[in-house]
Amino acid sequence: MLSKHARLWLGLIAIVSLMSLASSCGNKGGDDETKDGETEAGKAYTAKGNEGTISGVISYTGTAPEGKKIDTAADAACTAKSPNLMTEEWTVKDGKVANTYVYIKEGTLADGTKVTAYSTWPGTPAAATLDQNGCHYKPHVMGVVVNQAITITNSDPTTHNIHFTPKNNPDWNQSQPNGAGPLTHKLARAEVLIPVKCNQHPWMKSYVAVSKHPFFAVSAEDGSFTIKGVPPGKYTVVAWHEGGANGTEKTMEVTVPASGAGKADFAFGATAMGQPSSLPMMPAIEFPMAGMRH
Amino acid sequence: MSKGLHRFAVLVACATFFLIIAGANVTSHDAGLATSDWPLSNGSLFPKMVGNLFWEHGHRMVATGVGLLTIVLAISLQARERRAWVKRLGWTALAGVVAQGLLGGLTVKMNLPLAVSAAHATLAQLFFLITVSLAVFTSRGWREQEASIAEDGGPSIRSLGVIALVAILAQLVLGATLRHSATWDQDLPTSLLLAHLGGALIVTLILGFTIMSVLLRYRAEKYLAKPALIAAVLLCAQLGLGLAAYITRVRSPYDPQPLTPMVAVTVAHVACGALVFATTIVLTLRAFRVLRTDGKEYALAAA
Repeated sequence: MLSKHARLWLGLIAIVSLMSLASSCGNKGGDDETKDGETEAGKAYTAKGNEGTISGVISYTGTAPEGKKIDTAADAACTAKSPNLMTEEWTVKDGKVANTYVYIKEGTLADGTKVTAYSTWPGTPAAATLDQNGCHYKPHVMGVVVNQAITITNSDPTTHNIHFTPKNNPDWNQSQPNGAGPLTHKLARAEVLIPVKCNQHPWMKSYVAVSKHPFFAVSAEDGSFTIKGVPPGKYTVVAWHEGGANGTEKTMEVTVPASGAGKADFAFGATAMGQPSSLPMMPAIEFPMAGMRH
Repeated sequence: MSKGLHRFAVLVACATFFLIIAGANVTSHDAGLATSDWPLSNGSLFPKMVGNLFWEHGHRMVATGVGLLTIVLAISLQARERRAWVKRLGWTALAGVVAQGLLGGLTVKMNLPLAVSAAHATLAQLFFLITVSLAVFTSRGWREQEASIAEDGGPSIRSLGVIALVAILAQLVLGATLRHSATWDQDLPTSLLLAHLGGALIVTLILGFTIMSVLLRYRAEKYLAKPALIAAVLLCAQLGLGLAAYITRVRSPYDPQPLTPMVAVTVAHVACGALVFATTIVLTLRAFRVLRTDGKEYALAAA
């Protein structure tokens, strides 16, 4: 039989453990069930031959922030392979921005059907590859459709772990030693955008967008992008760029004529960088003496 | 009971403190999932400790060491300690460290769910409480002191100490939940942040009042005044470290990786919080040992 004091200790442990559980329940992903991850089957779209495109250029207004040098000293294999590794948060060349994910968020086809009414589209790519090379991800930003297989490869002479940290899909983490065969991962729910990171090398980060349709693109080094095979209609097009905790979005209404092209040029700038101009202490409190560091 | 047993109990408490620091480094470096394996790391008992695997596997190795030390302590207490309740506390410590190891494994296998990670961090503090208590109970001071000091007219120091301990523990739970609710590249949730800030205010008031009461009423009793003074210094340091931890942490999502200033200050904040807790445990237990009400000795003091 336990003594009074032993019971006291055990009771204390039980109470605090319950406090811990109660204080933390429901904070991670608990409110995501009703977001844009519906998986119910919709109609299949049949190409009519009058599809068009949405294209444009992502530009940067003002002085673009410079990439930051990454200290890879924690793993000599990374330093040897990528001695001058830089962050890819803002890859800007001649005022044009790469790695911006552009997609149709919603819209109506010319026949009045909502784009979200379709679940199957022609021309869906068969596979996508995410490579770990030089202790960074290639590509840095990529888009896939729901349940599309993502092949994950490790081209480095060191072990990585690939960790998808979605809000609307299950968390997924796998170690991948050097020389190991490719891994495959599928995401069943639409989500923009899922951070992918390596907990072994915390500077490694990429973003994977999961869409219910194939109408997305990632801007190239010259800032250009083209979304092909878009049925005629009126759409809300979103350009998403990483930065800070949640990234930054720009939205535009675009009309695609039959067999024509819609134009969607987006501009990001200093205020859209995702970096605060002063240190936010609380939602309504500013801490002005600690300005931007980078 | 020997001086050696007490020294060993102190060693276990110090090792536990080091383990808390190692665990805090895992969280601040976002290294908890540096390997998806458990109990092995990347399929090996001794993996190449590069990158964040240094922190995660290092934490596991330190934890294994503390587990072994706790086994030895529990067996030693069983063999050499006369007081049955101290023996039982030794076995409780062993059960605690085993449960803590299992929680650590569970949180890795489940990809760090907040509830399990926060429970893991909380149980760490409770295990620390037990090891510090064992160090106090096996000390010569505890054995030689008697309940010789009458509690005078003010609020009961023993009650204040217990209230302060509960407040600190709740604050440690809040802090652990806050830390595990967002990785270095995410913003801290405002609600938890405000709760932790409110907790700091409450702990400061309660512990500050307890310390002041001890120093004003029992200044000449070094057995009580010394831990009270240390607690006062640690509390001030902890408040400063908390502010510094927030300032460095709020910039963190814009850094390419967890940077040394943020990690060092945050880990120091966690460590100092554990020390405030430990010092308050010592102060409270000592108050129960030497202070008496109505001429009665508290049951813990019975041999």
